[in-house]
Amino acid sequence: MSWTDVALPPLLIEKLPSGLTLLAIQRRGLPLFHARLSLPAGACEDPKGKAGLAQFTVDLLRRGTRRRPAHDVDDLIESMGAQLAAEVSSEEAALALTVPAELREQALDALLEVALEPAFEQSEVAAARRRTVAGLQSDLDEPAAVAGRAVVTLGYGPGHPYAHPAAGFRREVETFQREDAAGFHATRYQQQGAVLAVVGQSPPEELIEVSKKKLGQWQASWPGHSQRAALHFSALLPGQGLRAVVVHKPDATQAQVRIVAPGLPRTTSRYAEAVVTNTALGGGFTSLLVDAIRVDRGLSYSVNTRLYMNRRAGLSVFSSFTRNETLRELVDVALEKMSAYAKAGPAEDALEKARRYLAGLFPLGLESHEALAEQVADVLLDGLGLDHLRMYRSRIAAVKAEQAREVAAELSPARDGAQIIVVGEADIARRALNGLCPVDVRQLEEFG
Amino acid sequence: MALLPEDFPVEERSLPNGLQIRLLTDRSLPVCTLYSFFRVGSRNERPGITGISHLFEHMMFNGSRKYGPKEFDRRLESAGGTSNAYTSNDLTAYYEDFASEALPLVLDLESDRMASLTIDDVSLAREREVVKEERRFRTDNDIDGMMDEAMGALAFLAHPYRWPVIGWMSDIEAITRQDCERYFRTWYAPNNCTAVLVGDFEPEAAFAQMERLYGPIPAGEALPSVPTGEPPQKGERRAEIRYPSQAPAVLVGFRGPGGSDPDSLVLDLIETALSSGEGARLKRALVYEQELCVDAHVYFSWRMDPGLFEISLKLNPGVDPARAESSLFAELSRLCDEELPERELQRAKNMVRAQLLRGLSTTNGRAHTVGQMEVMLGTWRAMLDLPDRYAAITAADVRRVAQKTFPAHRRNVVTLIPGEVEA
Repeated sequence: MSWTDVALPPLLIEKLPSGLTLLAIQRRGLPLFHARLSLPAGACEDPKGKAGLAQFTVDLLRRGTRRRPAHDVDDLIESMGAQLAAEVSSEEAALALTVPAELREQALDALLEVALEPAFEQSEVAAARRRTVAGLQSDLDEPAAVAGRAVVTLGYGPGHPYAHPAAGFRREVETFQREDAAGFHATRYQQQGAVLAVVGQSPPEELIEVSKKKLGQWQASWPGHSQRAALHFSALLPGQGLRAVVVHKPDATQAQVRIVAPGLPRTTSRYAEAVVTNTALGGGFTSLLVDAIRVDRGLSYSVNTRLYMNRRAGLSVFSSFTRNETLRELVDVALEKMSAYAKAGPAEDALEKARRYLAGLFPLGLESHEALAEQVADVLLDGLGLDHLRMYRSRIAAVKAEQAREVAAELSPARDGAQIIVVGEADIARRALNGLCPVDVRQLEEFG
Repeated sequence: MALLPEDFPVEERSLPNGLQIRLLTDRSLPVCTLYSFFRVGSRNERPGITGISHLFEHMMFNGSRKYGPKEFDRRLESAGGTSNAYTSNDLTAYYEDFASEALPLVLDLESDRMASLTIDDVSLAREREVVKEERRFRTDNDIDGMMDEAMGALAFLAHPYRWPVIGWMSDIEAITRQDCERYFRTWYAPNNCTAVLVGDFEPEAAFAQMERLYGPIPAGEALPSVPTGEPPQKGERRAEIRYPSQAPAVLVGFRGPGGSDPDSLVLDLIETALSSGEGARLKRALVYEQELCVDAHVYFSWRMDPGLFEISLKLNPGVDPARAESSLFAELSRLCDEELPERELQRAKNMVRAQLLRGLSTTNGRAHTVGQMEVMLGTWRAMLDLPDRYAAITAADVRRVAQKTFPAHRRNVVTLIPGEVEA
């Protein structure tokens, strides 16, 4: 395999005395400007009993600032043709928008005003709480969404900072008050650990200057520095034996299936081995599991394995769905194939295919302004350095069969202690899994 | 501001067998996208074989003369590429994203399946089960899917837009190998295809290879016409679904113009003014102010024949659907009665323009846009002056099109009521 590494576009990184990292990337071509502000305010920072507070806080930012009410904030952003993305991952909260290039200064002003000067009006907090609670209940109608929420909750296990969906749970969101959101903002929206990434047509030196000027104008608006308690990330250890949790979804004619086991963090030194090995097992369209479950048996439309790689811990997750009548067959095939893979690792041709697949498609993930800003910002936040992107192809190409075998055994979603999660008709699922492992039936509402 | 032709130096070629080829080079990254647009979708079906267009999309990955079963994606992924496809009411599109070194292989794979697709009973039986599973996922166990299916059957009486793209379950089960063979001969001929290649390649060499590979494939016979008649709607129509959901939902549809009608551009702006962004009218009124909905969303996409302008309301648990409908209709009436203020109109234009530009920011996006313009509007050049055409739309245009589209007798309303169907 002879892939050349991909050159990143011209960029500059500057760490400011405040602790904020400024990243400027030149993307020639379309007259667009993108800005993304990442803050160390992700879901893992949610206080105990307040799951969803990071997401609730970021949602509230645009519901009024100290300078203007919510509707005027919407007008400020959307009159530029932009939509404000307000996202929460396990680690960070991020605000981002893309505007025509000539509006770059207005875009930075809008982004910083929303991020730094939220009003948290009492009436807006109450309305947001009602909206969030209604949205969480509505999400219970989507079996795949429920399965996704169950995966992080059960996969990371009680007490782990990652063990809840970013949107939280209704029972906890119902307790949120203005002080919760304002307090979270005051303590987590800090320059230390934040990244402002900008992407535009101009040379990075110019983009840096524009951004520094704007940051200077908004300097006084940052919340004061405050000390946060360090989070405790206990090691993820698989339990004993295989076990299953069935989440009861009345009237479902199809069962959503997940098989979950501990995985690796994104910062692992074996990142390339893990990604290649997972791709051969359940990534792409010609993986071992797609062949066995979809192509050979027609059991499902969608089959994959995915590595949930958070910064400090991860999961290895098998995902599929099938009609109620073939649930057991799908689970049996998945477990059998994954167990065999854990012992033998990928065949040489499958390994080579996975390497070439990942290396060939890698540049596509750096194409749009949004993807470029997010990818580069993330490697900085993870402490991986730009070489993680620059040398991606050569690292993927260097993965050896022996390394893949070792990681395959360590990452198999089917290894001892794995959990099977089924969202579907409880009676049908319980009967289907009879004799395979202990089955615990839970109610839908527990995951909403 | 129009997009400049010099920024999109698309080369237009065609082969004697009717295949249209569009080439757009971009050397900034070592990647390419190839789209193959076939002008066939669920509108070209008939009762009894509904869903065959989509089922056939699956069949296209099951082997051809040179590349046997499982080989298409295996070869492609081994060369650093990936593929996917989608079927709509009007067209079926296949694409490959790939490392530029893989271009010769990708052209060989695509042309081989156009020339000599293998259709056998074994692969059809297997793919049928996969599609049935997809239908259970997207429709039978999905509220949006089941409501959308009910909307098509409600809003259209005679036009093929009446049935779902994925097809009725009983038709999926009944489609035969002979149906598939006939379908392939008719619709997958080069004269019904536009191939769009964008990315890092040398155009003359690429065209020479396409000419060599696609050139020998014979043109098909004349394509059957589509029964496009649809009687005028003379009164509101309603359907109800009972399903054990957490909350009610309402889907309202109005028959609108076809994609080539200039009024479609006006409806794009209306769609944006109503539901794009948090400050859009329906979001502001129904989600934030009246707290009736978790989400309010408009779907309007260009279709070959007069299609649908749909408004989806996901209600808060316990909200009376009649109350939400009433608020929605009040907002639509406001569009009909009052001109959109200049600030809102400009906001909508800016958002549509930005969306168009963002769609052009990736190799795949450029290829898709070029192909979609060719298929829907007859030429890729239509995308160049789209920003100017949106910019020229006036508040009076918006009011006129709203009055034409949203009268009460043209409403189609599907309501989801939480609960079981009584046995």
